Amino acid sequence: MESLYLLIPLSALLVLVILGVFGWAVHQGQFEDVDAEGERILTADSHLLDTGQGPPERAQQESDIRSSEGAVKWHK
Amino acid sequence: MAQVGTAAAAAPGGGPAVRAAGPLSDILDGQGVYSDTVVRYFALAAVVWGVVGMLVGVIIAAQLTWPQLNFGIPFLSYGRLRPLHTNAVIFAFGGCALMATSFHVVQRTCQTRLFAPGLAMFTFVGWQLVIVAAAITLPLGMTQGKEYAELEWPIDLLITVVWVSYAIVFFGTIGRRKVRHIYVANWFFGAFIIAVALLHVVNSAATPASLWKSYSAYAGVQDAMIQWWYGHNAVGFFLTAGFLGMMYYYIPKQAERPVYSYRLSIVHFWSLIFIYMWAGPHHLHYTALPDWAQSIGMVFSLVLLAPSWGGMINGIMTLSGAWHKLRDDPILKFLIVSLSFYGMSTFEGPMMSIKTVNALSHYTDWTIGHVHSGALGWVGFITMGSLYYLIPRMYGRTQMYSMKAIETHFWIATIGVVLYIAAMWIAGVMQGLMWRAVNPDGTLVYTFVESVKATFPYYVVRLAGGLLYFSGMLIMAWNVVMTVRAGKAVDAPIPAVKLAHA
Amino acid sequence: MLANEASEVAWVTPAASAVQAATAAPGLKVVDDPIEQSAFTRWVSGPAGQKLGESSFQLSGLVCAACGGIIEAALYRLPGVSSAQVHISSDRATVRWDPAQTQVSALIEAVRRAGYQAVPDAAAPARAMRKAEHRQALWRLFVAGLCGMQVMMMATPSYVAGPGDLAPDLRQLLNWGGWVLSLPVMVFSAGPFFKGAWRSLRLRRIGMDVPVSLGLLITFVASTGATFDPAGIWGHEVYFDSLTMFVTFLLGSRYLEMRARHDAAQELEASLARLPEVAWRVNADGSLEALSVQRLRVGDLVRVPLGQAFPADGCIEQGQTRADESLLSGESLPVPKQPGDLGIAGSVNLGAPVLLRVQQVGADTRFEAIVSMMRSAMSQRPAAARLADRWAPPFLWAVLLLAAGGAAVWSVIDPSKALWVAVAVLIVTCPCALSLAAPATLVATARGLARRGVVLQRLDALEPLAHAQQFFFDKTGTLTADRMQMRALHLSAAGRSLWGDEQSALQAAASLAAWSTHPLSQALVQAAKERVQAAKERVQAAKDAAAEPPHPAAEAAPELPVWQQVQEHSAQGLSAIDAQGREWRLGRAAWVGGAAVAEDSGQDAQLHFGPQSAPSAPSASSGGEIWASFELEEVLRPGAAQTLHQLLAEGAAVSVLTGDTLQRAQALTTALQDANQAASQTTSAEAAQSQPTIAVLATATPDQKLQAVKAAQANGQRVVMVGDGINDAPVLAQADVSLAMGQGALVSRSQADAVISSNRLDDLLRARASARKAMRIVRQNFIWAGSYNAVCIPLALVGWLPPWAAGLGMALSSLVVIGNALRAAR
Repeated sequence: MESLYLLIPLSALLVLVILGVFGWAVHQGQFEDVDAEGERILTADSHLLDTGQGPPERAQQESDIRSSEGAVKWHK
Repeated sequence: MAQVGTAAAAAPGGGPAVRAAGPLSDILDGQGVYSDTVVRYFALAAVVWGVVGMLVGVIIAAQLTWPQLNFGIPFLSYGRLRPLHTNAVIFAFGGCALMATSFHVVQRTCQTRLFAPGLAMFTFVGWQLVIVAAAITLPLGMTQGKEYAELEWPIDLLITVVWVSYAIVFFGTIGRRKVRHIYVANWFFGAFIIAVALLHVVNSAATPASLWKSYSAYAGVQDAMIQWWYGHNAVGFFLTAGFLGMMYYYIPKQAERPVYSYRLSIVHFWSLIFIYMWAGPHHLHYTALPDWAQSIGMVFSLVLLAPSWGGMINGIMTLSGAWHKLRDDPILKFLIVSLSFYGMSTFEGPMMSIKTVNALSHYTDWTIGHVHSGALGWVGFITMGSLYYLIPRMYGRTQMYSMKAIETHFWIATIGVVLYIAAMWIAGVMQGLMWRAVNPDGTLVYTFVESVKATFPYYVVRLAGGLLYFSGMLIMAWNVVMTVRAGKAVDAPIPAVKLAHA
Repeated sequence: MLANEASEVAWVTPAASAVQAATAAPGLKVVDDPIEQSAFTRWVSGPAGQKLGESSFQLSGLVCAACGGIIEAALYRLPGVSSAQVHISSDRATVRWDPAQTQVSALIEAVRRAGYQAVPDAAAPARAMRKAEHRQALWRLFVAGLCGMQVMMMATPSYVAGPGDLAPDLRQLLNWGGWVLSLPVMVFSAGPFFKGAWRSLRLRRIGMDVPVSLGLLITFVASTGATFDPAGIWGHEVYFDSLTMFVTFLLGSRYLEMRARHDAAQELEASLARLPEVAWRVNADGSLEALSVQRLRVGDLVRVPLGQAFPADGCIEQGQTRADESLLSGESLPVPKQPGDLGIAGSVNLGAPVLLRVQQVGADTRFEAIVSMMRSAMSQRPAAARLADRWAPPFLWAVLLLAAGGAAVWSVIDPSKALWVAVAVLIVTCPCALSLAAPATLVATARGLARRGVVLQRLDALEPLAHAQQFFFDKTGTLTADRMQMRALHLSAAGRSLWGDEQSALQAAASLAAWSTHPLSQALVQAAKERVQAAKERVQAAKDAAAEPPHPAAEAAPELPVWQQVQEHSAQGLSAIDAQGREWRLGRAAWVGGAAVAEDSGQDAQLHFGPQSAPSAPSASSGGEIWASFELEEVLRPGAAQTLHQLLAEGAAVSVLTGDTLQRAQALTTALQDANQAASQTTSAEAAQSQPTIAVLATATPDQKLQAVKAAQANGQRVVMVGDGINDAPVLAQADVSLAMGQGALVSRSQADAVISSNRLDDLLRARASARKAMRIVRQNFIWAGSYNAVCIPLALVGWLPPWAAGLGMALSSLVVIGNALRAAR
């Protein structure tokens, strides 16, 4: 099963890479306060045509409520 | 040079003006707007290649039913057309859909435009070249003989280059994000991109003998192991992780509800990552692969059931409290039904990886049925639903030209899928039973050709199912054309943070 | 400055709005004081190198996900705000702002204008620490879990392959893979165990981490040897999968315990979020300056507005007022204060604004003291855990000896098993269950109670609370609510002829009483309001029911007199001139004048109302008549009757300790018993027979109360004291368990073991039930830990427990204990 000489070291390396990515994510705060993130895609740019859900008046209402919300600035 | 359209309409809500898209305007003069040209092109290409790939599928289904349809012409023969079909539906149809949606989703969730839109355009052009090259070389019989990795080495190199540029654009966009949190869909897309790169490079390692002929770097059962490590992970990452990324964005958007449990989606992602790598050997039961390797494949395929179903439940329950929307919204029908097929396939798969079951199913049409319930039911439907959401919005509209056509498409396609997989299940089990039937004296009851004959009616039904599915695709193509003609490409502005005295 | 008292009082609007002066806009400025800010703000540098403040706020009023966006938008509209992030799940906001362009007070105002509330989040540093701890724990757990899964995959072929199926070099490869992936687990994830073991060894003690670390090390070293030298002394079995799985499970159970601890701390801190306390200093030029209480110095002159607590001990320089010192002395009536009298920090100013010369500043650490007390309460180890700690070292020594002994014995019988038996013994024992059993349960209980309105400040209080049989209750503010109600109303003949009925009399008197914040006046106002409401409802019901329109007179609102020149006379009452120029008085019988209408039942809680025949000096009592008398009584706190009844029914002894008069105390106990009877519908005769009575100790000084508690303890009883706080400070400290009601000033709550922040007395019963449940669970945990060890150690010694099973058992045992402990939170 010589192919395993390739696959096993490869998967070990992959595990270390995955650890690295997860570590980066944890320390970046990616897993904190996640409950609101599911909502964010629904509110972010509702005043654009891109979402355009339903009749225009509704989009207008939404944008009135959220027009100044905008994106959260994130500082490195 | 590029003319930015002057007809700029003020967006509702008083945001920055939305301008009509001139040719490549978002690439050449893209300040403050999303770069959607490549998204548009990929989306349309997906539809086109879907039609092509499914047409080839119908042809080869017909050839299996009536072998006369090979006509004795080499480049129309089943053996050469089959890989054309698989490559067209997976890499051309699926690949373009993934690229379109990943570029769309990453921009919208990061609230920034694509990193290096020029490189994105290169990705598009390069990928179309790959597809066209496949369409030419495969019927000509130029193949490496490895499933889903048939393309010869020059095309493999091109794929590598294009994939690297794809990765650069995608990850570069994430690096530029204005929202700190990386939405879960992007994790799935990212994992898909990296995994496919790794799989492709390892599996396609070959020694060229001539321009269109090469020999795999691996041999015999070793090659088989690596091939199916690739093959299953291609399914796992290309056809599952990537499309799950699609699912996690377009279902909430279409249903106007957030994912049922965002936390669960994160757990879903990481648990899939853990396990997928080792499920490959289940393709090699009862082969020369050592028993213990087969066993591992079986065990971990079963373990894979849990995270897959977690994701399915998460997606379907997003509609919790809003099931009535399913009644009236055919796009949601596509999206939600795709998840049911996903659940079905991810249950069927582990079952089939159990050695005892596999002893019956291996090499039969049951495997084909399983593949197609996943491909037609999960991959096809989620793509169609997502494109039906995406395409109108790429052309300044909120919905497709005809909702009725979508509804019709849905029902025709569903009936097609059901006919297809039912036929294949029955055929598969029948074949398995026939092949293992032994007389008391130990001889086989049936000859192989008898099983082939018995399969004939099911091939007819499968062809009918496939034809229905294909016609649905034609309806979609028509709908898309009408939508594009009625709409106008616009450059969508990126929402800006409103600082009073920035 | 302070104008003469008359106009000051005349200026006072009806007293309903006399509170919250501190939180009006000028008072808000105190949050900009650096001395306050340090609690919730840290300084970072912005992209352009400028200094930015990063402040944490506790929000309220958020009801949906969109609210977060609205608040963020409101903050972004301010100049100088570079980032604003609302965390909806925890009702917090983190804002980065430029001090050159804006201030914290502006941030809070912006949130208020958007329709929400924000207060500084002084718990931010503690929260940041917890967040870091959480991240690190999650990270370690993930590394262990991921590597563990992959190692398990590498190990599976060895389990499933038949003999000879797995080529030796392939087995080598798989072992190598397992070794590589165990490295991160040993080096990083298992770090806490090694560190803990090292720490305890340095102190020459055996801590719990020692056997765990030993087991891990031995397993790893032996497996490494087997990997790289399979023919050597280590044998050829590797146990990387057991190793990593074991670390994963153990980290998992510690993670759960940490979560429980963090959640409890969070609950408690949430109840502390409030604006900093404000004092109003009078400067030399006569201007008023709002500043933090922490900045007061001895000798400062402060103005204490109506409704605010005295910020420091001091001497009243100007103004007359009444102070509510019930928290300090037990007196249910406010104490009059004249210039020269002492004002006590924490008492509430009820009469009129006064000037106070600060003599002692001790209030500044109130808030900090409470926070640090609560933090220490959470981190201190309760008695049960200390007990477990005492047992742990001998237990662990025993384990080490058994492991060594087992290895020695087996090295004779079957050397290949010796090492693994030792490892199994080391790993399978779960002393951590012993050590976790109590704290995890108590912390979970505290959290569950906090959610329901009882804030536990000392975990140790749960045990005596579960078993105590002697309950002492303070009267005022504990058994009674902090307001009074009207019991009866009597009119004189003249009164009847003027007003016609009681209702109108009440309304007239209440219209004058509204000018005062005195509890008796407020009770009158409340009674009048209730009757108006009831009348309205009756009229409405009649309208709905009847066909013909009701008598118009019944609908007409009584005409209220209009008062002018309202004056409040300390310790006497209110006087005012009506529209006809006649003086009226409301207050003490003697002052209003004339004979009392109703018999004086000896209770002070009476208000009399009547006109004065001629303009007279305020202190003279001539020419006045009483036309209406109102009898007022204390209101029972909700739940008081049931609580006492329940305690008595359970066989506990209940006593009331009070500084008040015997009559009032007895009236209260009668009221309590009446309420019980009404609830249980027994006759008074039956009740008198079956019901144990409530003992009463009246006119008790704090020292006498203390003696009462000591006497009960000398009898061998565990004593629970429920009171208000500072007035009974020594009594509360003496009692085995002390609980304080939540509405008192913060200082009064700091002394108690638990605060009933819901203000319902029957939550005491709930606390008691929770405490009992907690003790049961702790006992269960100890029993489990004991029997588990008793069974598994012999099994390991005999060699029937392979290391992987030992690891699994250990981890599961911890999980069982933690899981059981979490039940206490429900």
